[in-house]
Amino acid sequence: MNEFLLLPFFLIIIAGSLYAGLARDPYVKIIAISITGGAIMPLIIMRGYLDVASALAVIIPLSTVFLLQLFKKGVV
Amino acid sequence: MSGDLFGLIPWTIESPFSSSYVVSPSGDVEIIVWICIAIAVYSAFRVIVEPDVMRKLPFLNVFSFSISGIIALLIPQPLGIIAAVAYFVGSTFESNAIASTWAGGVED
Repeated sequence: MNEFLLLPFFLIIIAGSLYAGLARDPYVKIIAISITGGAIMPLIIMRGYLDVASALAVIIPLSTVFLLQLFKKGVV
Repeated sequence: MSGDLFGLIPWTIESPFSSSYVVSPSGDVEIIVWICIAIAVYSAFRVIVEPDVMRKLPFLNVFSFSISGIIALLIPQPLGIIAAVAYFVGSTFESNAIASTWAGGVED
């Protein structure tokens, strides 16, 4: 695998993680976590774990929806 | 693939991102993968720099689409296509859920 294909995803993961840590708005935080989760997917794919990637593609949006229910109740 | 990790490490190591199931994209496919990577980087940048939450969400959607394209192009196998479709559906669902909740959600 061409290792230079991985470098932009490393940068996106670092940028998304820092943005999630520094943001004040909870919606912005969850958007930044979505960016991080999206940039992780090609790294898992390039390793060959296709079943793990398929499971994560379902689990990450579901966890986001559970967090959004907390937003609606005003807990966060 | 063994490499010296961009020349930073003097000794040769085995890359953790090596699998017999993954074939390196070559030729036109590699160009398309790089175009998708450019779209992903640009949309992630726009998500970070946009001040309004509602203006971030279309770029988050574009980012998800480009990631789905990269997944589908990297693995020319049926399970790779299934993973790409699952991520496409899941990420679109996620973006729309965030937008719906931010806009007030469904009235009870």
